[in-house]
Amino acid sequence: MIKINALLLSLFLLACTSYAQQVKVNHKVFKYGKVDLTEFDTKVSGVDSAASAVVLFDVGKGYFDFTAKGLVYVQDRHTRYKIINKNGYDYGNLELQFYKSQGNGTSLDQLDAATYNLENGKIVTSKINKDAKFTEKQDKNFTLKKFALPNVKEGSIIEYKYKIISDFIFTLRPWYFQRDIPTLYSEFTATIPEYYRYRQNANGFLFLNPTQENVNQSFNGATLNCRQYNFIVENAPGLKKESFITTMQDYVSRVNFELTSITVPGEAYKEFTTTWPKLVAGLKTEEKFGQFVDKKSFIKSLLKGQIKGDQSNKDSMLVSIFNYVKNNIKWNKETELYTSETNPKAIFEKKAGNSADINLCLYALLKEADIAASLILISTRDNGAHPGLPMLTAFNNVIVGAKIGENVVMLDATDKNHCVDLISYSNLNHQGLQVDLENESAQWVSTDDNKISKKNINYVLTMDNEHKLSGKLYLSSSNYEGLARRDQYLSAANETDFLKDYKSDKPGLGIKNYEVTNLNNPSEPLIESMDVEIEDNVEEAGNLAYFTPLLFERTKENPFKLEERKFPVDFGFPSEEIFRMTIEFPKDYQLDKMPKNEKIILPDETAAFTFMFAAEDNRIMLNSKITVKKPVFTAEEYYDLKELFKNIVRKQAEQIVLKKI
Amino acid sequence: MKRLLLFVLTVPTFNSVYAQGIYDVSKIPADLTKNASVVIRNEQQTYEVKSPGSASLDYKTAMTILNKNGEDASIMREFYDKFSSVSSLKATLYDGSGNKIKDYKSSDFKDRSAVSDGSIYEDSRIKYLEFLHTSYPYTIEFSYSVSYNGVRSYPMWYPASSWGHSIEQSKFTFIIPETMTFKYLKSKGLATDSLKTKGKTEYNWSCKNISALEYEPMSTGLRNVLPWVTVAPNQFEYDNAKANIENWKNLGTFMQDLSKGLQVLPEATKAKVQAIIKDAKTPEEKIKLLYKFLQANTRYVSVQLGIGGYRPIAAEKVANVSYGDCKALSNYMKAMLEEAGIKSHLVVIGNDMPSLNKNFASMNQANHMILCLPLQKDTTWLECTSQYVPAGYIGYNNSDRTVLLVTDEGGRLAQTPVYKPADNYQKRITKVMLSEDGNADISIDSKYAYAQFESNLGMLLKDPTEQRKTVLNSLSIPNMEISNLSYSQPDKNSAVLDEKIGLKSSQLLTKGADKLFLTLNLLNRQDGVVTPIENRKTYFAVDYSFNDEDEIIYILPKGYKVEFIPKDITIESEFGKYTAKFASKENTIVYTRTKTMTNKKYPPEKYNEFVSFYKKIYQADKQKGILAKID
Repeated sequence: MIKINALLLSLFLLACTSYAQQVKVNHKVFKYGKVDLTEFDTKVSGVDSAASAVVLFDVGKGYFDFTAKGLVYVQDRHTRYKIINKNGYDYGNLELQFYKSQGNGTSLDQLDAATYNLENGKIVTSKINKDAKFTEKQDKNFTLKKFALPNVKEGSIIEYKYKIISDFIFTLRPWYFQRDIPTLYSEFTATIPEYYRYRQNANGFLFLNPTQENVNQSFNGATLNCRQYNFIVENAPGLKKESFITTMQDYVSRVNFELTSITVPGEAYKEFTTTWPKLVAGLKTEEKFGQFVDKKSFIKSLLKGQIKGDQSNKDSMLVSIFNYVKNNIKWNKETELYTSETNPKAIFEKKAGNSADINLCLYALLKEADIAASLILISTRDNGAHPGLPMLTAFNNVIVGAKIGENVVMLDATDKNHCVDLISYSNLNHQGLQVDLENESAQWVSTDDNKISKKNINYVLTMDNEHKLSGKLYLSSSNYEGLARRDQYLSAANETDFLKDYKSDKPGLGIKNYEVTNLNNPSEPLIESMDVEIEDNVEEAGNLAYFTPLLFERTKENPFKLEERKFPVDFGFPSEEIFRMTIEFPKDYQLDKMPKNEKIILPDETAAFTFMFAAEDNRIMLNSKITVKKPVFTAEEYYDLKELFKNIVRKQAEQIVLKKI
Repeated sequence: MKRLLLFVLTVPTFNSVYAQGIYDVSKIPADLTKNASVVIRNEQQTYEVKSPGSASLDYKTAMTILNKNGEDASIMREFYDKFSSVSSLKATLYDGSGNKIKDYKSSDFKDRSAVSDGSIYEDSRIKYLEFLHTSYPYTIEFSYSVSYNGVRSYPMWYPASSWGHSIEQSKFTFIIPETMTFKYLKSKGLATDSLKTKGKTEYNWSCKNISALEYEPMSTGLRNVLPWVTVAPNQFEYDNAKANIENWKNLGTFMQDLSKGLQVLPEATKAKVQAIIKDAKTPEEKIKLLYKFLQANTRYVSVQLGIGGYRPIAAEKVANVSYGDCKALSNYMKAMLEEAGIKSHLVVIGNDMPSLNKNFASMNQANHMILCLPLQKDTTWLECTSQYVPAGYIGYNNSDRTVLLVTDEGGRLAQTPVYKPADNYQKRITKVMLSEDGNADISIDSKYAYAQFESNLGMLLKDPTEQRKTVLNSLSIPNMEISNLSYSQPDKNSAVLDEKIGLKSSQLLTKGADKLFLTLNLLNRQDGVVTPIENRKTYFAVDYSFNDEDEIIYILPKGYKVEFIPKDITIESEFGKYTAKFASKENTIVYTRTKTMTNKKYPPEKYNEFVSFYKKIYQADKQKGILAKID
């Protein structure tokens, strides 16, 4: 199970390469309100030539301060934009979100903002009005402050300067050097007293020009040695979204800091998550994690009462417990690392919970039934790849690992259609941290699914003289294909709706005698069979009848349309689609010409396409197979994939022509 | 001992019988579960008007969620603001047999701001609770009270307004002091009960055993089938404003009073207006110039607070900050026009809403404001929030509806312009050079006007990468590569968009034996087949009237000749007209297609005719030509 993650490694290597492309940058200083005439001439070019606005500079300073409440983290931010066209007007409305919980929170200290317009060669300044500041209390935790700048037009320069004070010093507000519009200059400086140790985590494809030095800062009259970290990025292009990705977060250049230890002289040394074992020890005592699974009385009563199973057979007990949790707690669609309550009892009573509620209940039950289980922390696809360093905040989900015989399987009870070793697609982010709470240890494990998710489509048809096709259709879907199909089936109000939906993109298809097997047995492939009648799919011209043999299953378009790609192609799981068809046609027709067999295989057989055709008397047999054997392809492999799918589209579009004798 | 045992046994039995009493799903009549995802078991809405400026609402409902489609309804939500408060929230969850699963605590109800999209600030908030249960069916029950300390409109009763919702019973009670008058509209055939008690009049409307409607595509709404009542005040008081809205004339007076005196411009702006129009000869020219100035110098920022939801921000203020919402920008434009000596009226309009009901004046039939300029020759209308449309074009969602002009003499109803099929055109000329190996060079030249201009305007604003992505995804040409792409609005004074696309396809011709098959309608095919519906219940219409004209010229590959081209096709019906012509000459095939549709509202029984009309077009659009090798 343990293997070094190839993707992580390749990303790491890429990051190293970009680090090598060091360029000299000049530290720049900007003063609020001092706009230079030349800034109005700023133009954008190249890939960004259509940008709606450009960030002229974005300068941030992070430091600590003592207030009545104690130590706080302050982030000063000074940003200037040039608005290029009307699409960029949104930058004239600033929105800042603040959080408050249990007396701690973030707040805005001061804000200056102005718009500058060039009128008859002179700069005209419009300051933000008092009545253009709004505070929206979103809910009990979040407040949104909004600011509308006056006189924003095409060509305006706008400027914001503000200070955000945060009581949270565990993770510092991250700094993004890049966004969807180009950024000419972005600089971030963090000044941290030597007593405080933070782990730095940089991400993305741009070189951050990191430097550091020792400085002095005075706190309440005392002077402290501080470490100052500086990062500068110049001319960052706008970041554009592409398909088959985990999340853009994985590709944006940013830096963040997480507290690892505090050593104040005269006070005890306090260490935070500096190593995985320490992190795990912290989790163990966490009220909504380790302590949650330690509350056993209700768990015990469940095992004695409601959960039926053969206590002596661990494997069957595991399945019973898994099914019980799946069927008794409804996922509220929230993905969390921590539970929402402090006791499993509350979750079972509510019959609903977030992903941590559900999977920690599952874990607690397994442990209590004496089944070897561990927790696997996940950063989901939406949340982005985990940086690999001991950082707790980069995880946002938790699933369960359990032993069946000698194998460790993964369990995720958030969906009824999950089974042993079939976790939700969002968890397929290639790796997870397996945590052993008892021994306070952790190790990375692969969460990739090695089983190929298969989709089989099998038509057995007869064509009549009116060119109507009729016969049988068999469908079989396994693993993630099966999960998707089951979720579709169960999300429809009834079978009629499900079939209506299935037919909606298949013009001419009529279905009778639909049967489904293994619907409630997610560990087996979902099998569907039906009688079909297909009209309007065979066309005629003169004495010829012709049709596309893949009918509704043809890959109509190449999913890879862009000429080049910077990011990996991430499918999530390996897959195979097999289309088989047998057609008997009327005796007074003959096959005009036979399509050729074809086989295309990518290097190392990572993906393949085969198309086989055979004919015998008045019967045609056809087999088309697309295999994608690995979940992730590198940007270098993109071209091969694109070519493969281009050929699939071409070949699957070939028509069969019959001639009337 | 014996007695005690009996006692212990009877209690649970009694409990379960009692609990299964009301909400047991098996007690729902079969007619109500057919096509249903939600059954409204018992709903009661009581609204009491206390005075022109105060009222209260008591709401209680129980709903059974039968399947996943009903989960959207599995929520309690009530909006409130500075002038209203929600209290006495209660909620309970029952399983399929009607056994109580849990009562919700007050901390389970959430409270959050409810600022609508595109608005920077509103004081609107929402209290809500999402019910979740692991299996279907289940029943939810909730109740709450609202007290209003400021009234603009009375509520509507429309117990089932969605597909798949059936009603076991629902009742609406409306109570008003005898000293006050009001008005109401109701669905056909619904009975009104009223009785007088202690200086109040109580009205009751109710319905029982209403079956669910199965989804019907292209529907214009369910109001002709399901019961509803809408009630409106004749006088109201809200945020220190008093209004009489007995009729549209009075409602107009109220709006006129709200905007009175707010058209004063700063001297600098007055001077600017004079400078802008100094060389303009006609009012039309002046309007165009000032509208251009408005578009270049203001942006849309919406702030809605209390009566500020109806009263424009003063023109002077807008001149200083250069932003505002529809009311502020319309009023600012009105002020500038006034300075230029051109009279105009603010217009109360329902954008993308039905026309104002001429005989029923109320505040909640409109959501927008534009400007009407009654010129000598012709009336001009201005949509003041758009940054891109030419002067005089108000957009499809404002067109062809009854609106209210706010004049010095009060409100006056008027009709906005109608955009006909010929106005909303798409004209496209495509040239396709085919070569023997199946490759093709394609150039596509399209013009989109009016409504079609609006639906494609987004392309003009996208950056080139996004434009390419969208085009690649929208054209169904196999294996294509875009060589050039451009969007422009050649004349800023007309709502016409030009699109030019150059592309290569490596596989336009479908290979089959020695013949090459060519789907002649390359770009604008009728997609999908609509299926007939037996016994349709609701009216239907297409989104907007339009006229599409396509011409495609194919230059054949060397060594090939035309073996077959289809015959010309004309399909005509009351819904629209379609023609496809196929002509071949030497090495070219010319395909021309026209399709004209009107967005008239058609009665349900016409739907299957419409389906067969669409089916014919679908078939006609799939016609192929056959090219054969020259021996």
